[in-house]
Amino acid sequence: MSDIAVAAVLAATILIASTISVEIGLSVALIELLAGFVVGNAFHLDVPSWLTFLGSFAGMVLTFQAGAEVDVPQFKREWRASLAIGLASFFAPFAVVGLLAYYGLGWNLRQAEIGGLALSTTSLAVVYAVLVETGLIRELVGKRLMSATFVTDIATVAGLTVLFVKPTLWIVPFVIVSVALIVALPKAAPWFFGRYGNRVIEPEIKLVFATLFLLTWLGTRANSQAALPAFILGLVMSGHYVKHRQEQERMRVVAFAFLTPFFFLKGGMNVSAGALWANLGILGLLFAGKMIPKFAAIYPLARRYTAPHAAFTTLLMSTGLTFGTITSLYGLNAGIIDRTQFSLLIAVVVLSAVIPTAVAQRFFHPHREREPGAGRPVAAVPAPEGVTD
Amino acid sequence: MPFTRILVAIDGSECSDRAFAKAVELAVLAEAQLTALAVEGPLPAYAATIGEVDEVKREKDLYFNALASRAKQQAKEAGVEIDVDVRAGHAAELISQVASEGSYDLVVLGHRGHFLRDHLLGSTADRVAETAPCPVMIVR
Repeated sequence: MSDIAVAAVLAATILIASTISVEIGLSVALIELLAGFVVGNAFHLDVPSWLTFLGSFAGMVLTFQAGAEVDVPQFKREWRASLAIGLASFFAPFAVVGLLAYYGLGWNLRQAEIGGLALSTTSLAVVYAVLVETGLIRELVGKRLMSATFVTDIATVAGLTVLFVKPTLWIVPFVIVSVALIVALPKAAPWFFGRYGNRVIEPEIKLVFATLFLLTWLGTRANSQAALPAFILGLVMSGHYVKHRQEQERMRVVAFAFLTPFFFLKGGMNVSAGALWANLGILGLLFAGKMIPKFAAIYPLARRYTAPHAAFTTLLMSTGLTFGTITSLYGLNAGIIDRTQFSLLIAVVVLSAVIPTAVAQRFFHPHREREPGAGRPVAAVPAPEGVTD
Repeated sequence: MPFTRILVAIDGSECSDRAFAKAVELAVLAEAQLTALAVEGPLPAYAATIGEVDEVKREKDLYFNALASRAKQQAKEAGVEIDVDVRAGHAAELISQVASEGSYDLVVLGHRGHFLRDHLLGSTADRVAETAPCPVMIVR
């Protein structure tokens, strides 16, 4: 199949995934992953190089956005209470899955590290959605949970950047440019965005993309990965985006419309149904390897810091999606893990997005005893033109 | 039996618009108090980015607030006083709960909503008919 034919099939798949997402109320990312899995296995499509390129860049954009979406002032207030939960949430499954993969499954060290990293994550977005839905986002437990999730995520991106580095001389410009951008971009942004922003040609989005491409290139030359600087760059820009919501919204539009669909689709296309079917036992082992240490490490801390919602907190800290997918795709693209290992990791990541969330909401919902409308508040927004109050 | 308190569920779909029109008619005929309840459904489950959650919530808030304003305007034009309540949650549960708490004696709603998810686990109308504490009028 020619590149343009593959592009047409994938564009149609992305469109269908979007409509299914709206119709059934599931996240578009999850539908795109599943759609990629179906298309990849049904049509036996090879992933073209342009899709690998777009998907990798989309992963960097997602990492930047994840950093930009962190509520830094809230984190500064809650970091002490959240640090223990966040670090336990990262290190326990990282160690257990890593050891399980290395000694139990015969993966080599780097493969075991990828496995540990991919399954140590906590999904900031899954946690956020549940907290908003339950109304807990306004309460101390919600704030601590979000901060703890952030700690886990930064540990994951740090691991991704640091663990796999095989330094060349390029590590020097990589580090210098990363630090320079992290220091300079928040300072330059108000001037640059003020002078060139708010135009249909979107110079502010191009500035962010240019910096991400630069970091990705330097990271690759340094035999490293630019996840950490991209995440921190997003983090230092979060204050700017709080004041300029429209810029962040336009960035999201570009990402959701064109970039992230290819990222998740590519992830799904690389999942082999045959490999999953042949390794169901290992799939179960890896799932347990993520869940059991998360529970064992987080629950005692949650009882101390987020009582009386310890079980709810523990379940939410056991979710994963975006960073698990980013880590697994990095491992696959870099040739560290093979397609079977990738398939298993992505399947566990998706299961960990769905199962703990569903159990938390079904059995440990903090507002179950209250009236059904006690959760998410509805913001009063001005009526659009033509609709009077 | 005269109805004195009528609760109508609205979601902006064609069926819901017809249900709202019927509820307004009934409120005029029975000189009943009319309340419209608009229920924002859940946020996308298992989202990959906070942005997706925020955008969907913003879109829902905007849509349902506009719906509430439109309901007020239509009721005003028909000469009926109306309270409009916009809440987030599970539609069938909330409608029955509000009907019970507010001692309504009639619930009016359309027989189907906008999206496929409204039908996946049985329609909202079916579930309200089963759980509401008062008569339910389902409008086609």
